[in-house]
Amino acid sequence: MALVIPLGFGIGFLWAWARLSRYRALSWPVLVLTEFLRGVPPLVLVIFAATFGATLLRGVVDNPNQAALLVAAGALALHSAAYQAEILRAGFQSVPRGQLEAAQALGMTPGRTMAHVILPQALRLSLPPLGNEFATVIKDTALLGTVGATELFSMGQDFLGQSDVLGRVVWALAVWVIIAAVYFAITFAVTRGLRLVERRLQVPGLEGATS
Amino acid sequence: MIRLQGVHKWFGALHVLRGVSLEVRKGEVVVLLGPSGSGKSTLLRCVNLLVHPDAGEVFVDGVRVNRREVRPEWVREQIGMVFQSFNLFSHLTALENVTVGLTKVKRVAREAARRKGVAMLERVGLAAKLDAYPAQLSGGQQQRVAIARALAMDPKAVLFDEPTSALDPEFIKEVLDVITELAREGMTMVVVTHEMGFARNVARRVLFMDEGQILEEGPPEEFFASPRHPRAQAFVSKILG
Repeated sequence: MALVIPLGFGIGFLWAWARLSRYRALSWPVLVLTEFLRGVPPLVLVIFAATFGATLLRGVVDNPNQAALLVAAGALALHSAAYQAEILRAGFQSVPRGQLEAAQALGMTPGRTMAHVILPQALRLSLPPLGNEFATVIKDTALLGTVGATELFSMGQDFLGQSDVLGRVVWALAVWVIIAAVYFAITFAVTRGLRLVERRLQVPGLEGATS
Repeated sequence: MIRLQGVHKWFGALHVLRGVSLEVRKGEVVVLLGPSGSGKSTLLRCVNLLVHPDAGEVFVDGVRVNRREVRPEWVREQIGMVFQSFNLFSHLTALENVTVGLTKVKRVAREAARRKGVAMLERVGLAAKLDAYPAQLSGGQQQRVAIARALAMDPKAVLFDEPTSALDPEFIKEVLDVITELAREGMTMVVVTHEMGFARNVARRVLFMDEGQILEEGPPEEFFASPRHPRAQAFVSKILG
C-alpha cells in the first residue's frame, strides 16, 4: 500500500505528461499501455506479475516469494498509474492554453511551466477523482494476498481458517467488520488528507459552486 | 533591435506569412494593422519564437535567434509579451504573477523580486491590488498586471497582441494610458491593435498587413490620410468610415 500509491502517482504523472506531448513517439506508446492496463482485471495482472516476478528479479532480490510480491505490487502500481494518468491528463488540459503561452513568453522551460503553472492548477481539479482512485487502490492491495503478502484481507482468512465450524460463524462477522473498519480508517485518513491539500490549493474567486 | 528577414510560416497547407521583412529600432513604437487573419499575431509570435518561422531569419539585438544553437527561452526572457486575453496565472496573486518570471526564470532572490514586483504594480497603478487573484480583478486591471509582469523582466522590447480587444469599453483607456506612458519612456514596442486613435498618437510607424504580407508602411498621419495600396485604402475607409 505504501509502495503502490506513490509509485502509481509518479508513473501516472509522467504518463499524463507524455500523453500530451506533441511527439508521437512519446504519446503513442503510453496510450497503448494505458488502454491495456485499464482493460485487464487487476487480479490477473497481480497473479501474472507474481508468476514471473521471481525470474525477473533473480540476482536482485534473493527470496523468490519477496520478489514475486514486489513485482506484483509494481503491477498494481502500473494499473493504478493508468487511471491516475487519465485523471491528471484531464487536469492538465483544464489549464487554458493562453497561460501556457504566457509562461513560455516569460522564458519558462517546459519543466518550469509544468511545475509552476500547470501542476498547481491541474491538481486543484484532479484531487477529488484522485481521492477516488486512492481509495480504490487501497482496497485493491487485498489482491496482493493472493500472491503471499500478509495484508489485512488474507490475515482474516487465515484466522478464520484455523477456527472450527461454530467458531467461524461467530468470528466471521467480527473479523470482517474489523477488517472493513481498518480499510475504512486508512482510506478515510488518506481522503481527508487530500481534502486538506484541496483547501490549501483553493484560489479566491475560483472556488466554484461548493463554497 | 528587432529585425525579420523574409519570414515564411505555414500552418499545414495555409501560407500565413509570405516573406515578411521588418525592422524595429530601439525606442521605436510600431503598430501593426490589418484585417483579422492577415497574419499579424503570427508575425508577432515569430519575434519571440512562440511560433518558429519555416523560412527566413529573426534577429534580436543583432543576434540571429531562430537557429538550433539559440534556446528560445533565452530569447523570450528578453522580450516581453502582452496578450489579448491577459493570460494571467489564475492560481497566483497579482504580485506573484509579476514575480514568478523573476524568481523562477531569472533566479532573482525572493525579497528583491518582491520589491521589483511591487514597484511594477505601482507603475501600472495597482499598488492596492498586490494580493488580489486574477478572478478578483476587472479586465483592465488584469491587463495592467500582465503589462507589469512583462515589464518586470526588464525586456529589451515588448510585444502587444491586441491588448485592448477583449476589454469592456470602460477599461480600454486605462490600459492604453499605461502603454502610451511606456512609449513615452522610450520602450521599444510592436503593437497589434485596432485602436486607431492609439496608432495615430503613439506609433512612429504603421505597418499594414494583409494575407501574410506587409503591403504598406509609413508614419501614421500619412497612412491614415492617404493610404496607397488599394487594400489599405479599403481597410482605412472601413475603420474610419
